Amino acid sequence: MHIKGRAWTFGRNVNTDLIYPKTWFRPTYEPGEMASHLMVGVDEDFPNKVKRGDVIVGGQNFGCGSSREEAAAAMKEAGIGAVVAPSFGRLFLRNCINVGMPVVTSPGIDAEVTAGDQIEIDLANGKIRNLRSGYEARLPPMAPESLQLIMDGGIANYTRRVLNERRLANKNAQG
Amino acid sequence: MHAIAKIIAKHAGRDHVEVGEIVNVIPDFVMLNDRGAARAADLLKQMGGEKVFNPSQVVVVFDHHYPPIRQQDSVSQKKTREWIKQQGITKFHAGEGIGHVIFPENGYAFPGALIFGTDSHTVTNSALGCVATGMGHSDIASYLALGYNWLRVPEVIRFVLNGELKPGVCAKDIVLRIAQLYGEDAAPYLGVEFSGPLVDHMPMDERLVLCNMVIDFGAKTGYIQPDEITARWMAWRAPDLKWSAETTDSDADCGRIVELDVSDIEPLVAIPHDLSDVRNARDLSDVRIDEAIFGTCTGGRIEDFRIAAIIMKGKKLAPHTRMMVNPGSREVYQLAIKEGLIDILVEAGATIGVPGCGPCSGCHQGMLAPAENAITNASRNFKGRFGSPEANAYVASSATVAASAIAGRIVSPVKMLVQ
Repeated sequence: MHIKGRAWTFGRNVNTDLIYPKTWFRPTYEPGEMASHLMVGVDEDFPNKVKRGDVIVGGQNFGCGSSREEAAAAMKEAGIGAVVAPSFGRLFLRNCINVGMPVVTSPGIDAEVTAGDQIEIDLANGKIRNLRSGYEARLPPMAPESLQLIMDGGIANYTRRVLNERRLANKNAQG
Repeated sequence: MHAIAKIIAKHAGRDHVEVGEIVNVIPDFVMLNDRGAARAADLLKQMGGEKVFNPSQVVVVFDHHYPPIRQQDSVSQKKTREWIKQQGITKFHAGEGIGHVIFPENGYAFPGALIFGTDSHTVTNSALGCVATGMGHSDIASYLALGYNWLRVPEVIRFVLNGELKPGVCAKDIVLRIAQLYGEDAAPYLGVEFSGPLVDHMPMDERLVLCNMVIDFGAKTGYIQPDEITARWMAWRAPDLKWSAETTDSDADCGRIVELDVSDIEPLVAIPHDLSDVRNARDLSDVRIDEAIFGTCTGGRIEDFRIAAIIMKGKKLAPHTRMMVNPGSREVYQLAIKEGLIDILVEAGATIGVPGCGPCSGCHQGMLAPAENAITNASRNFKGRFGSPEANAYVASSATVAASAIAGRIVSPVKMLVQ
């Protein structure tokens, strides 16, 4: 999986209340609705400025706090290429994996990127590069199961596949 | 293996698991709150799932938006009521309180159990000596469809709490001290175990506070080794339930062991908007308090009401200060009425709301206006959490919140407790 995009930078301990404020919680969402509120707790104008393929670079403990999946789902819906940080809140990290949002742990990355830099990530080979500065680093290995879930487009696709396998097995058993 | 790893292994049908390994596990109970139930039901359908795999393991709780104050939530709750009926889900609690308070009350949390929930503070349950963790809506929808979830076995950090607490200092001050010393990411992806002489004598309500806040320094689950106090709790809460606790083989099963002397901790306050920016309450006397927010899954239990009533008895709220109180559960509410605690708080001028998340849900009664200051015994001081992003939330213990509501500014509760 190859990702290349323009960077937006955020600080340390950016919590999910800021990434997706509760004011915008809905029981069901229209297409594009979540993306239209992405990061508005930090920058109200962010949804208008961000483009598909852009990369979000956060500081340590990015996405800490509440379990709200909207924080990860809004990034996926906005077409964010990847979210990169030295470390993540565990629920945000998990939600990213489950919605198929490339989530990339890269120690020290926040010190190596300024807003607007072109970032290149090779997930399969575990490499990240800042094309402006020439900075290059190896990524800590990701669990193969997690990488697979992201590449398969998330847990929804996985669940559909297992449900189909079960239906087929049931049918065969009956037939 | 650590007890946390053993619990995960047991629920994965395995004898052994390694730290860092990802396994598929079958939880004992899964909690869906009002928001979680609505979203997960929707996502289950999108995933092509028709039936909930194991409806008897699913507990639905309306706590964030109950009673609804927006029509979208009324509509959503109506749909959820129909959905649980159609799915055969019978464990349903609406208006009975916050999921993380009623789970231990109802015996859904027990030693050796594995619990998932659509809320980050699901970790609270781990005080019973179980593994309990929050998950997203797609995660839970996948569980509803398939009957299992993936889980990574966490490394464990053990905090050994030594020494005696000063009067007026509570479990809440201990977690604020940990956030102060080690940061909001003191334990990312880790299991956090509390042990030591202080924990050995700590009542369950206070243990639940310790474990409630492990998510607020990054942890996957808390853990307290079940003991006599746990056994008495279970005998009271679920006398017919058979449970068996797991034990940790050796200290080497902890990635890290941190000894913490609690005897010099004073009443503490996390100031806006960072939970690790912690000061002594007595040093913040120039902070005016407009609203005291009392309750939540962190501070809404009977011990919280008892200490607040000791401080507030016969006194009035400062004229410029209001106080919003939401009992953590219906049971806490009734007990606080019987013990005369609600009367003391109402006499002092507090407003009592329904058992539930209250203003901490971000859209219930008690929202803050721009430039207002609130002190709360909730877990988080995030920007905008209690209303306006221009408001300021200070996080403290129940004692410090009650004392500050009377003083109208942040004060240490110590003097009011001694009087």
